[in-house]
Amino acid sequence: MIDAAVSLRSIHKEYRRADFLVVALDDITIDIPIGEFFCLMGPSGSGKSTLLHLVAGIDRPTKGQIRVLGDDIGELNESELAGWRSENIGYVFQTFNLIPVLTAWENVELPLLLTSLSKKDRLRRARTALEIVGLADRLEHLPKQLSGGQEQRVAIARALVTDPSIILADEPTGELDAGSADDVLAILSTLNKQHGKTILMVTHDPRAQQYARTSRYLDKGRMTEMPHAVPA
Amino acid sequence: MGKHLFLVWKNLLRNKRRTVLTVFSSAISVFLIGALISVYALMYAQDPPEESAMRLVTRHKVSLTQALPYYYGSRIATVDGVENMVPMNWFGGTYIDQRPENFFARFAVDPDQVFDIYSEYTVAPEQLEAFQRDRQGMAIGKTIAERVGLELGQRITIKGDIYSFDPELTVRAIFEGPDDLQAFFHFKYLEEGLKESVGTEYASQVGVYAIRLRSVEDAPRVAKAIDDMFRNSPEPTKTETEAAFQLGFINQMGNIKLFLLSIAAAIVFTMLMVSANTVAMSVRERTREIGVLKTLGFRRRSVMGLVLGEAVLIALLGGAVGVTITVAVTTAMQDMAVQWFTGFTLPPWGIGMCFAMAVVVGLGSSTVPALIASRTKIVDALRHTG
Repeated sequence: MIDAAVSLRSIHKEYRRADFLVVALDDITIDIPIGEFFCLMGPSGSGKSTLLHLVAGIDRPTKGQIRVLGDDIGELNESELAGWRSENIGYVFQTFNLIPVLTAWENVELPLLLTSLSKKDRLRRARTALEIVGLADRLEHLPKQLSGGQEQRVAIARALVTDPSIILADEPTGELDAGSADDVLAILSTLNKQHGKTILMVTHDPRAQQYARTSRYLDKGRMTEMPHAVPA
Repeated sequence: MGKHLFLVWKNLLRNKRRTVLTVFSSAISVFLIGALISVYALMYAQDPPEESAMRLVTRHKVSLTQALPYYYGSRIATVDGVENMVPMNWFGGTYIDQRPENFFARFAVDPDQVFDIYSEYTVAPEQLEAFQRDRQGMAIGKTIAERVGLELGQRITIKGDIYSFDPELTVRAIFEGPDDLQAFFHFKYLEEGLKESVGTEYASQVGVYAIRLRSVEDAPRVAKAIDDMFRNSPEPTKTETEAAFQLGFINQMGNIKLFLLSIAAAIVFTMLMVSANTVAMSVRERTREIGVLKTLGFRRRSVMGLVLGEAVLIALLGGAVGVTITVAVTTAMQDMAVQWFTGFTLPPWGIGMCFAMAVVVGLGSSTVPALIASRTKIVDALRHTG
């Protein structure tokens, strides 16, 4: 029986920049239960995105153990990690990162190309994902024909189309106006409450905290107490 | 891979101008290679007519430009295995002007023997008789006659260049057959003309003897017998098959194969560099997208496949356009029916080589960028700007 969707144990992450050793994460230990909407806040450069990268398996810690849905991802090689990620993780970027030459539909279909689904099933699932984020009428639109908020909703549809257990969102409202940011946060909240997705969101947007059930604060690579007034 | 093809195609459409220019430059390179292959095929890879195997050509051992005595003919005819022989002199000269469409080969020959030797040519008996009877008669291939607009009974003057003699000829016969791109006139007429213009010293000299064998199997023995016969004479001979003679004629111009290969190598190298630069630029621009794809779960081999697929698709498109241009150009040149371009065509194996070269260049130019793309760390790719 797996209780924790994400379990980090004594995670250290260091990297070298020029002649300096930068400590991005210092002794981080967290457990995020399955079905949680977890918000990790902190100022720029605090190590939030680094932590998300580690949970997604797109970077490796210097020390420590990461278990996601019971899997010790430190034991997986790069190819195994790619397959594991495509099955278990949906990733939402701050800058949307849609492929500009693909339509909304095709962008959402992209992760399904790694599955054995037929073209018909892929399109059906992509359409369903776009309906969930309220963009069923924008299937054939290219990213440049969408607003920032719509682009991020397409990116969320792409993250959930493979029905992953965990959605990782890296500053999902960072590039959006207030109205669009609320829409995106509401969708993430719905995915958590109605679809049971575990959501790990990193942000320095104080509004995001209202949508999350649990919030923690990261500063200079260490977990600290949540300040009373979170710096924007 | 099939599922990823649409991604490859969409990426090609990302920067249409660049894709079109790359396809076009690839097509031009393939066209140049195709043209070189066509030249090679024209010179080295054409099957000679069946009748050609029955013929030997005897020339001066030193060079084709050295003449042989006329009396050699009667001695060659005595060699066992020789059915017939005809002395031939390349006359050259100019008909009307120097334009290529007015050029055709002109040989002074023995009119009684030439059509026995070149039995693949068909000529009406009454025309043959008229040609043989008229000392100033000329027999001309149908293809040439039609191209330069000559008809039976028409009189023409060929202005001599090698020889200071201008033959005045009447078209008496029009023959048909493969490679009927030449004209014959009487050896005796040339001989008489030269006697008047330069004296007897040069009049009775022969460029080559064309020999018809009784049997193909006799070729090596007869060739050796003829050359042995004149080995210690002041004018030693070299006798070889017609195909070898023609190849030797081509090789007089130098090492054509090496020349063609050098140009082809330069074209392929240039194409490789242009293509590699384009692929590298295209991949560098998409570093962040590659990071996104890998975040979504695309493995290294999928990323490599996308980059290689793109380069190969561009190369194949360029190959298709290049081969089409080559076929169009060689067909147009054949339609001009200029002597040198008869048989100038891109053979099927040449088309295969063009496409193979395009694919090799596509793969060669994209392997390094594809490897780099596939090995880029995701976090580094996602941080990439530009």
